[in-house]
Amino acid sequence: MILHTLNAAPEQGVFQQCLGQLGTTDALLLMGNGVYAALDGSPAATRLLATGATLYVLQDDARAAGVLPRLCPGVKAVDYATFVELTEQFPRQLAWY
Amino acid sequence: MLEPGAFDKEGFLRNLEDWSPEVAGQIASAEGITLEQAHWEVIELLRDYFAEFDSSPAMRPLVKYCAARLGPDKGKSIYLLSLFPGSPAKIGSKIAGLPKPENCL
Amino acid sequence: MSAVKLLLVCRHAPYGNSLARSTLDTALAAGAFDMAPTLLFMAEGVLQLLPEQDPTDVGTRNHRKVLDSLPLYDIDQLYVDGAALAEYGLTDMPLPEGAVVVDGDGMRKLLQAADHLLGF
Repeated sequence: MILHTLNAAPEQGVFQQCLGQLGTTDALLLMGNGVYAALDGSPAATRLLATGATLYVLQDDARAAGVLPRLCPGVKAVDYATFVELTEQFPRQLAWY
Repeated sequence: MLEPGAFDKEGFLRNLEDWSPEVAGQIASAEGITLEQAHWEVIELLRDYFAEFDSSPAMRPLVKYCAARLGPDKGKSIYLLSLFPGSPAKIGSKIAGLPKPENCL
Repeated sequence: MSAVKLLLVCRHAPYGNSLARSTLDTALAAGAFDMAPTLLFMAEGVLQLLPEQDPTDVGTRNHRKVLDSLPLYDIDQLYVDGAALAEYGLTDMPLPEGAVVVDGDGMRKLLQAADHLLGF
């Protein structure tokens, strides 16, 4: 039960590090440059879906990046208030950047 | 004797290369301490610690290091306090010519 | 591995930024409050453990040497990413005393067993 946050593009090594630690009971929130991993049809999105983790993307960042209209259906766009709620739901949080 | 400008406002050496046994005596007397054999034993140990770990010890690691190197009788807070009253890690480091210990919480 | 209260996840090399230094500050501060943390050196973070560091000319402390003092602060639970060691050709490097090499599954278990996580 960990809420992971990822702020790095899929080409960055940290994406792979984060991916390797995602479990089915975990959630991942993509933010900053991390939002590109939510592009529908991208290999990154496919790999994230395969982890079984619950996937979120920070709406403002996804919109800014132009990712929102091409969002992978398995990723839910959330606002900052929901981000805060997530941090309350999950006992532990780990930032990947 | 080093000039006052060689020390920071807490009395620690600005340049660690300035240290010598004579300078140690100068710093110690400013702290009201007369260095004897028992002091020198700990001063040398502090300088060994710095060479090994590139940092000045807080109290807990200093006590442990003393216990490991000088035996259980000297690896005690009370013993170190008797040599360097008040704050042995800080005052001992100052006399040994080391930087002020960080993380002295 | 069961009673890890605070796990510090060290993922960056020592001198490119101040994260490794912040890890030490955090570890020592937590230790001073009797919350001795466990450290996990992961990915690039294993480079913090290279034995022959000499940062004299960059004006900072020798990170490996300071790490070696952690047991004196009662911080002696260290775990190291075995795959990263192999990737950097460092499998035969002398690790800090008591450090345990773990695989991907071992790291996952560590993360899931910790009460609190801090990533550096």
